[in-house]
Amino acid sequence: MKIGAIVRIVPDLVEGVEVTEEEVIPFRFVPNERDEHAVEEALIFKKKCNGSVEVLGIVDDELRDDEAIEEALAMAYAKGADKLKKIVLMRKTFNRLEVAKAVAEHLKGYDVIMIGIQSIDSFAGYLGGVLATLLGYNYVGGVVSVDLRDGDLIVQKEFGGGEFGEYKVKIPAVLGIVSAEKPISFVPLTKLRQAMRSMEVEEVEVDVPEIGGVDVVRYYEPEKPEITMIEGDVEEVADKLVEMFKALSLI
Amino acid sequence: MILVFAEVIENRIEDVTYELVALAKQLGDYKVVVVGADPKDIDGDVIQIDGILHPYHYKVAEKLFEEYNPDAMLFANAPFGMDLAPQLAGKLNLPLITNVVKLENGERFKATSLTYGGRVLVDLEVDKPAIFVVNRGCYEPVRGTPNVEKLSLAVEDGTELLRVIKPEEAGVDISKADVVVSVGRGAIDSLELAEELAELLNGVIAGSRPVIDQGLLPKTRQVGRSGKTVTGKLYLALGISGATEHVEGVKAKNVIAVNVDKEAPIFRVANVGVVADVNELLPVLIDKIKEAKGKR
Repeated sequence: MKIGAIVRIVPDLVEGVEVTEEEVIPFRFVPNERDEHAVEEALIFKKKCNGSVEVLGIVDDELRDDEAIEEALAMAYAKGADKLKKIVLMRKTFNRLEVAKAVAEHLKGYDVIMIGIQSIDSFAGYLGGVLATLLGYNYVGGVVSVDLRDGDLIVQKEFGGGEFGEYKVKIPAVLGIVSAEKPISFVPLTKLRQAMRSMEVEEVEVDVPEIGGVDVVRYYEPEKPEITMIEGDVEEVADKLVEMFKALSLI
Repeated sequence: MILVFAEVIENRIEDVTYELVALAKQLGDYKVVVVGADPKDIDGDVIQIDGILHPYHYKVAEKLFEEYNPDAMLFANAPFGMDLAPQLAGKLNLPLITNVVKLENGERFKATSLTYGGRVLVDLEVDKPAIFVVNRGCYEPVRGTPNVEKLSLAVEDGTELLRVIKPEEAGVDISKADVVVSVGRGAIDSLELAEELAELLNGVIAGSRPVIDQGLLPKTRQVGRSGKTVTGKLYLALGISGATEHVEGVKAKNVIAVNVDKEAPIFRVANVGVVADVNELLPVLIDKIKEAKGKR
């Protein structure tokens, strides 16, 4: 079973972003959280099916050496990924249809491709589903576990509220992972550094076609509604909250 | 003409569908496609298709696109909408806009999308035809009487639903609780204290996606798009940033949010915002509540 797992990097929202009408400027990048789950699930599934995992970092040209993508690949390598590849987009685009067309050719030949169901910076598409139709593969999103039975994938898809659908999916398939079936495993810093030194990453540059059809008019921050803000000493804050709970007849 | 694709789970139409109908009414003439459910409350023309809604039913949407040549197709930002819309966009090579919170018709569509974890809005102009995935809670739902046309459209794929797995935990339904104390990434280290606080307030404990992903609370305790909607008297959000997927499930009458980040999107849905470190605040707050209740 040849498994591909996609990882992208996105702005670190903990560090914040600067928003201008023309662009959103991140201060730092981190791996897309749902993709981290996709990589984790791919590595879990590898053990179940005795397969191999290739982790594919999709990254803009200007970020090809960013430490976030290097760390994401090293992390996967330290956890047991067999092969690493960086697919470098030679033109920056927010349009996932354009990204899918650019990378589809390099994603052929896998039995299953796992990708985070969405990335936090997306507004023009979800890459997984688009890729599936371009590749002619089956697609299920919202996946939280993957098994193999009689040559077919058995996946659980999240319906919400604690409900799941269990599906049999013929390979080849693309799976949109929402969370891995186990929490993201921890890699000690020494092992991560070792992986960064020893890993080999194949790099492929791809042209991004212009399809268009979508134009950004402006970026901006949502309005902040007027709310009661409480700041200051923890004791004072706690006192104010106690008064509020009393007013709500909770204590 | 606008085509609306109903979100159907286990043969029941999800409420967000009625919000899509409200949006479609504003955009122009519309038809609602319902696969595998009774369309009894849908207002307007309905194309009803038997069967069970599958991720491969984008093929149904594709056939209907060919038949009706619509300006747009609307899907819900929900388990099936998120599967169907991107596949359809890939198949038909059409613009796909996700996380839509506002949509207007014109020479081109004017769409607004909420992105970057709820921190950024982006205004877009979009060519016709296009596909839109619309967030829950942006339009007042419209219900009415359907005018049903039954259609037989056979599509198939290598995907088969084997079974539906129901939640194991019984007893606690956070959507019905009056007080919900909810834990996010910023309060993971204080989970036990949060549980104690919930108990003191006669409430229940819940969490955001990262807490559930770590296996610290069961899936039935997840608030948000993939979880449940809380509607009670108080929602106390501890260390929750307020990503779009989460705040879609916050409909409580009072929302108090505690977060160290003054810019956290959770403060946009709160009545009261507390800028503090949950891990420092909770021990003090619990002591004071005990004192107020005469438990010390």
